[in-house]
Amino acid sequence: GLTSARAAEILARDGPNALTPPKSTPEIIKFLKQMVGGFSILLWVGALLCWIAFGIQIAQGVASAFDNLYLGVVLALVVILTGIFAYYQEAKSTNIMASFSKMIPQQALVIRDGEKKEVPAEQLVVGDMVEIKGGDRIPADIRLIFAQGCKVDNSSLTGESEPQSRSCDFTHENPLETKNIAFYSTTCLEASPFLPGTATGMVINTGDHTIIGRIASLASGVGNEKTPIAIEIEHFVHIVAGVAVSIGVLFFIIAVSMKYKVLDSIIFLIGIIVANVPEGLLATVTVSLSLTAKRMAKKNCLVKNLEAVETLGSTSIICSDKTGTLTQNRMTVAHLWFDDQIYSADTSEEQTTQSFDQSSQSWAALSKIVTLCNRAEFKPGQENVPIMKRVVVGDASETALLKFAEVILGDVMGIRKRNRKLAEIPFNSTNKFQLSIHETEDPNDKRFLLVMKGAPERILERCSTIMINGEEQPLDRERAEAFQTAYMELGGLGERVLGFCHLYLPEDEFPDTYPFDTDSMNFPTSNLCFVGLLSMIDPPRSTVPDAVSKCRSAGIKVIMVTGDHPITAKAIAKSVGIISANSETVEDIAKRLNIPVEQVNKQDARAAVINGMELKDMTTEQLDEILINHSEIVFARTSPQQKLIIVEGCQRQDAVVAVTGDGVNDSPALKKADIGIAMGIAGSDAAKNAADMILLDDNFASIVTGVEEGRLIFDNLKKTIAYTLTKNIAELCPFLIYIIASIPLPIGTITILFIDLGTDIIPSVALAYEKAESDIMNRRPRHKKKDRLVNEQLAVYSYLQIGILQSVGAFLAYFTVYAEQGWLPNTLLGLRVSWEDDYYNDIEDSYGQEWTRYQRTYLQWSGYTAFFVSITIQQVADLIIRKTRRNSLFQQGLLRNKVIWVGIFSQIAIALILCYGLGSVTALNFTPLRVQYWFVAMPYAILIWVYDEIRKLFIRQYPGSWWDKNMYY
Amino acid sequence: KHKEKMGKKTLADVIQEMKTFLWNSEKRECMGRTAQSWGLILLFYLILYMFLAGMFSFCIYGLLLTLSPYTPTYRDRVSPPGVMIRPYLHGFTIAFNVSEPSTWTPYVNSMHHFLQAYDDNIQEEKNIECPAGQYFVQDGAESKEKKACQFKRSQLQNCSGIEDPTFGYSTGQPCILLKMNRIIGYRPGYGTPVSVNCAIQKGNESALKSVDFYPGNGTFDLMYYPYYGKLTHVNYTSPLVALHFTDVKKNDFVPIQCRLNGEGIVNNVTNDRFLGRIIFTLSIGM
Repeated sequence: GLTSARAAEILARDGPNALTPPKSTPEIIKFLKQMVGGFSILLWVGALLCWIAFGIQIAQGVASAFDNLYLGVVLALVVILTGIFAYYQEAKSTNIMASFSKMIPQQALVIRDGEKKEVPAEQLVVGDMVEIKGGDRIPADIRLIFAQGCKVDNSSLTGESEPQSRSCDFTHENPLETKNIAFYSTTCLEASPFLPGTATGMVINTGDHTIIGRIASLASGVGNEKTPIAIEIEHFVHIVAGVAVSIGVLFFIIAVSMKYKVLDSIIFLIGIIVANVPEGLLATVTVSLSLTAKRMAKKNCLVKNLEAVETLGSTSIICSDKTGTLTQNRMTVAHLWFDDQIYSADTSEEQTTQSFDQSSQSWAALSKIVTLCNRAEFKPGQENVPIMKRVVVGDASETALLKFAEVILGDVMGIRKRNRKLAEIPFNSTNKFQLSIHETEDPNDKRFLLVMKGAPERILERCSTIMINGEEQPLDRERAEAFQTAYMELGGLGERVLGFCHLYLPEDEFPDTYPFDTDSMNFPTSNLCFVGLLSMIDPPRSTVPDAVSKCRSAGIKVIMVTGDHPITAKAIAKSVGIISANSETVEDIAKRLNIPVEQVNKQDARAAVINGMELKDMTTEQLDEILINHSEIVFARTSPQQKLIIVEGCQRQDAVVAVTGDGVNDSPALKKADIGIAMGIAGSDAAKNAADMILLDDNFASIVTGVEEGRLIFDNLKKTIAYTLTKNIAELCPFLIYIIASIPLPIGTITILFIDLGTDIIPSVALAYEKAESDIMNRRPRHKKKDRLVNEQLAVYSYLQIGILQSVGAFLAYFTVYAEQGWLPNTLLGLRVSWEDDYYNDIEDSYGQEWTRYQRTYLQWSGYTAFFVSITIQQVADLIIRKTRRNSLFQQGLLRNKVIWVGIFSQIAIALILCYGLGSVTALNFTPLRVQYWFVAMPYAILIWVYDEIRKLFIRQYPGSWWDKNMYY
Repeated sequence: KHKEKMGKKTLADVIQEMKTFLWNSEKRECMGRTAQSWGLILLFYLILYMFLAGMFSFCIYGLLLTLSPYTPTYRDRVSPPGVMIRPYLHGFTIAFNVSEPSTWTPYVNSMHHFLQAYDDNIQEEKNIECPAGQYFVQDGAESKEKKACQFKRSQLQNCSGIEDPTFGYSTGQPCILLKMNRIIGYRPGYGTPVSVNCAIQKGNESALKSVDFYPGNGTFDLMYYPYYGKLTHVNYTSPLVALHFTDVKKNDFVPIQCRLNGEGIVNNVTNDRFLGRIIFTLSIGM
């Protein structure tokens, strides 16, 4: 090994053997971003204008100057509090991930200064000699110089679930393929309990230079794109800010040209900004999203990034991994062939029995071989665990056979004990068979039983007879052909086929004491009796076919991207419905019509299976063509880079792409995808880190429920926004009319804030609980550039129709309050200047009574309160109509969403508290209101509801009509 | 390369896009709508808003029907009465220099202007003499025109501006007229006339040595109440109390608070400094 000094030198040169963590934004930057994001800028401007106005007024000695100071402080507080809230929400969802960050092996056994030492793996340097044993994580990229029974699980790197043996032979040019290199962070497996694999190797790469380090840096190189909902919210913020700024500036100009003082015009501008900005909305959206995230977590979708909740709903392509996501990630016996007949086995997750015909003697013989010629064992102490869930020591195929035998025969370990094993040759890649010799459990039968399994063609070579219905029959050409047909058929299903044969050793030649020697092979290994074939596959999860068909009806294209063989991939794709039963690939058509592949019209083939090698030679245009022309696509044998290319290809079609993956190799694609979905159980930490969402049960079907939730929240956010925007007009109109018609101000800025951040908050969150109006899984995913969250119809309907209606209702209440106190509407017009004159303490009302300034102000507050109450009452109606966009309320049901009622009651309760409880606190500008004024706007509330029902009725009656196009949002 | 193509639009593109948005000659659309589409949508909004305007007018009409033209439905916000003074130019600081007539002429003019309605001949012509010391309650139909009681300018004696047309401003002994706000049906003092007193608001008490009140020791006689509203009580003139500041500290700002005193009068609300009281500053230069 190296000397410590040399190692220290290299360590200083190369740096520690650890992955550089991805650069994270400092917390303070994240916080400041929240402070200036969304509407915050507008509100900061508002606050600033307030303080400027305060400064000027205080210099002029205006008595009410402090109102502006307070308002500025309140606005700043609103920004800061909503910012803190958003930051907190963000931080909460990021923290879920903190637990996933440990992935580096802690200690490594290294030879330094000629001695074995335990050192932290971070200290390893190139040139170090390390020793590894079964169960260890490999501490760096190493070239093996000694290996015994060493297998590595490269699944996190390449996606191949099959453990691969490692030796010190150089077998391939490609470092990923050669046998003498083991990679950082992969696991060295315990091959069997008797033979723990061990290996010694030299470190050739450390830290970021390792293969995994390179993939990780590939992942961090992929930019973080904005989520679709973030784009939608930005779009919405732009619309609202645009409206606010343009109306603000327009009325500033109007005010100045109407000879208002510039200072007054600035104060109007503040009012207009505050009225236009839905202060509480972004917080509401965050809450709605996190409610959905919670609901999804219950359904096993853990969302890391809140906004990803909706992304899943707008997903139009899912690039799914095969192993573990679509399949159960365990080899299972799928078919059997004996007595010249293929039998299917049950491959479901919870199998307890097998139903194929087990009466044949051949089956008895086959089952014996399956049981005995097997080195896999259950770990002890699992008697009460269902068979399929028990932990097994042994490789995947042997595990499958062990469980299969246990399900049918029961107590495999007991059978093995009764049929004591005398000799064994484990499977190796040169002879491709496994053999063992046993005593039989029949005390009268003194013969030994030789059992063998292995690659079918190799096994067949060693046989001279074949068992049919328990009888040994000569293996003639006819039988051999039957075998070939069965073998091809099972292989064509993408299944791994094993052949089984046996031989009872004659008692006379092999007496009790015969010394079996596996090195010299002093026993026959040919002229055996062929018994049957078993084929295994990693079977699809039982819920997947249904989930895939749901995706299909939801307009989502499911593409399989796997590192596995094309044949296996295609077989699984067919069995889960990614390739539907009647679709053909170009190759299938060519085979059916018996013409060369080139002559097939590519348009005829709905399905396509693309090999990684083909993909490598494709241009972007060719890939695009494939993605557009084929609706059912399987990519097999793909590398991490290719996964990335496929995702980018899909994104070029304007698709919102979801990618599932579990391995480190998937992390670049997970990051690149619009939504990366990592597997919670099988997923590597790198994958989880790169993903936006984690499937806790690794089940593809959970994605579908996620899609449903995502679509629902999009619809519901639309409703929330429509609800919130409506009252903005009712808050804005007072200012505009105040400026134009010079009436006493109908509603104050503080009062507006009490609506936006008080009465309206709970109802708008309540809309997130609304049930879907129709089967949202039967429509196409939204087009990310055409189906906007806030579209023209929504804005126009909310602003110019319901909003105006609300304003009219609220103004009626305003005029009522003033008129009943002696100020008739015509007196109010043009009254503003005298009304607001602090020195004018004997203004005459319509009846000749004289009012002091404060008496007028108090009346003005009553006006605010009446206006506020009217908006609240009409917002109740608005809330009820927003439950649906198309259906009648009676179809949707008024009581299905109980949270809406909580919202309505909270709204009214808050209004009552503000009005009667806090009516005496002058700073809040509320006054106790006469009871009848609560009902003034009621007819308009009813009108809102009736009007919206009519709108919905026409939309339902005349789909596609002018009305539908202009009124459906 | 592809990225670049997809990337930022140039300014020319944006302008072109805007132009197409404003007028798309291909589809004959202005701002995304054809002429017909615009016509329809404008018609729709015309009808909708006309309906809303109609409904609103109807509601306002209904509201007005419920109101009496003589008495407002509620008078709780306007009572108890506030107080105002004359002369009133802008603000409540009355500052002038005796030796410079131009500093006090505006005040004098304001007083003369205000008192025109109180000229003795006008009062005698329009209003009647009422028995003093009791409310002048006029029964009968609400719509019947009500009589008003005479309040003659001459009752203000030294502050009437008749003998001294400068209301004492030329001698540094200014008159200020105090007026109680009108409230329909209000009977101040519940039978005992409301009186006025004045004092230094804060600071040296000696700055204000003497004030004369006219008429009758600074009271508002009961006969001027109640007020019946401007529709029927056409010639009503608010009774006044003149404050004659005969000895005020000169060359200084003297803050003075005058209060109404009487039953039912509120004169100590912090928020409303004109409710039952008034604060003004005298600054008389010599």
